[in-house]
Amino acid sequence: MDGEGIQVRSRAARQAMWAVRGVFIAAAAAGILWLFVGYHAPRPQAYPGREKVVFWHMWTSNWAQVIRRICDRFNESQDRYEVVPLTVVGGSLKTLIATAGGDPPDCMAQWEQVIPAWAERDALTPLDTLMPPDEWRDLQGRLYPAVRAIGMYKGHFYGLSTGMNIWAIYYRPSHFREVGLDPDHFPETLEKLDAAADKLFKFDAAGHILRIGFIPRGLGGWVPVFGGSFWDPAKEELTLANPKNVEALEWMVGRAKKYDFERVLQFEAGLATQYEASWPFISGAYSMVLDGQWRVEQLARYAPELDYRTAPIPPPAGGRMLAGWSNGNFLVMPAGAKNKAGAWAFMRFWSGLDHPERAAEFYTWGGWLPITASIADTPRYQQYCDKYPEFRAFVRTLASPNIQVTPPVPVQAYLQSRIEWAEEAALRGRLSPHEALERAAKETHRELENLVVGK
Amino acid sequence: MLTRDPLFWTALTNVFYYAALAVPLGIAFGVALALLLNSPIRGISIYRTAFFLPSIVPVVATSVLWMWLLNPQIGLVNMLLRVVGVEGPTWLASTAWSKPSLVIMSVWGVGGSMLIYLAGLKDIPESLYEAAVVDGANLWQRVRYVTLPMLTPVIFFNLVMGLIGAFQYFTQAYVMTGGGPLDSTLFYSLQLFFQAFRYLKLGYASAMAWVLFVLVVGVTALLFRSQKRWVHYGR
Repeated sequence: MDGEGIQVRSRAARQAMWAVRGVFIAAAAAGILWLFVGYHAPRPQAYPGREKVVFWHMWTSNWAQVIRRICDRFNESQDRYEVVPLTVVGGSLKTLIATAGGDPPDCMAQWEQVIPAWAERDALTPLDTLMPPDEWRDLQGRLYPAVRAIGMYKGHFYGLSTGMNIWAIYYRPSHFREVGLDPDHFPETLEKLDAAADKLFKFDAAGHILRIGFIPRGLGGWVPVFGGSFWDPAKEELTLANPKNVEALEWMVGRAKKYDFERVLQFEAGLATQYEASWPFISGAYSMVLDGQWRVEQLARYAPELDYRTAPIPPPAGGRMLAGWSNGNFLVMPAGAKNKAGAWAFMRFWSGLDHPERAAEFYTWGGWLPITASIADTPRYQQYCDKYPEFRAFVRTLASPNIQVTPPVPVQAYLQSRIEWAEEAALRGRLSPHEALERAAKETHRELENLVVGK
Repeated sequence: MLTRDPLFWTALTNVFYYAALAVPLGIAFGVALALLLNSPIRGISIYRTAFFLPSIVPVVATSVLWMWLLNPQIGLVNMLLRVVGVEGPTWLASTAWSKPSLVIMSVWGVGGSMLIYLAGLKDIPESLYEAAVVDGANLWQRVRYVTLPMLTPVIFFNLVMGLIGAFQYFTQAYVMTGGGPLDSTLFYSLQLFFQAFRYLKLGYASAMAWVLFVLVVGVTALLFRSQKRWVHYGR
């Protein structure tokens, strides 16, 4: 190779090197610029003289704005505390680690089933110990039964709900009329619901499903309707294979068999996702479907012209009215919280224990179900229900004593997964309903024993 | 105790099933593709690029794509099967087909290993083929007695890497099936993840991670011991 060629190559190499350096320098400069201009440090205290209440939650985007507004209202309402909210994605694990490390937030908003598991590990502050006995007695009387139950573990109250979830049946009046049913008279019993569903199913000439009348899912929601329960509060033990629970699952299996579960799965696989605007109920893929209260606002937003109604789940003969399963959002106070008084003041403020009218406003911002009758009855909340009349079925159901929550065992998430497994095993015909629930019970008991051994 | 947990054994069985099928299948397809793409035909670089591309697509995107392909109602796979008069299974929603579905999907990403095999093929001395031709070897005999033995170091490398990857199989199952239906795709890493982040049992998950580490080291050690018998380094 001649000398000129080598020179040309080394010049090209130098230029390439400078180009690479240039890219790195530009990237570093952009980073420094971002630090000065684009980076927003966590908001400092707006009220420097006040006691800080660190509040972690898991909401993001628009929901985080709602939370921010509630915190701002609290901060404006008094001059002693300042709640500083922070979105913490994956908050459960981080809170547990922060608690173990001795530096937890003062308050945390949760929706995962953590109360028994955390309380069992002494990671939570019992809220009832922060109240005088009279106040605690009064509170117990005012909270809806499900709201009280979701916060309790071994006689103590650990989580104060700020909104519960309830499931009811959404149905399409036009489909009812099409098959000669009266949409103004929703089936009052489960047997009548089955008969209506049979009429509403639609198939093509080859036997493929074109429309689902109704297919029950979610065993946890049906067990209370049949008069069963996964929990015996007197003995404080799990009762997964209770005969009523088996009866509920047998009914679900019967319905799935009638319409061939594989065929139902195949039909559902072809539907859009279940999220918001693409919920298949909107397109008419279902005539009746069991879903939560959040769909009411979604339907108002994405399908305002849609003609639909809601109704509580009708019970079978010998079953329970206004029954079902509930979960929700709740506020907890980690053990080791530095400002317990401030955190408790904030909890009371948000949940509306001392001022239902104010809390009703917050509940309408989030589309949440109220936790006491005094909030539900406020003019503000009633206005909201007038705006969304289909919301009333959910509000009415939540007040019922027949609403159950997940049993208060320290392996709730595991228990939930095993119940779901049992339902699927039975629906697919892998095990009989009794065998499936027995197996779920056995595995959950083993998990509980492991927990005791591991303590 | 890990051993008293039936889900631990389910997860272990599932991951062995996957590794036993997906890794050999990946090697077979990778080698076959590399042999085909080693031919001196026009536009070969386009073919190589086309087969390599899927391996650089993010796993989550590939998973979502395959969820559509395997959709029992409107998926391309079942639509093609219907053309030939076969009603396809429900694939990911079926306990019998969920694992085979993921194995089939794994073949989609053999482009990466194919590239390594291709490099290995280029490294085989031309003189060996010339000698084989002089000895009267036909195409199959040249592949069987020259190409494959000379490729064994590369196959060994891909086998070790493939097995390690298979034991850590996670993302596709997490995105596509979440471990279901009925735990049929509950792979070891997925169960480990659930224990740590769903049930918050970090100690248990940590123990599972150690078992996985020992398992991977053990299997890798066995493979290294076995290589004396079947890997040819051309020395």
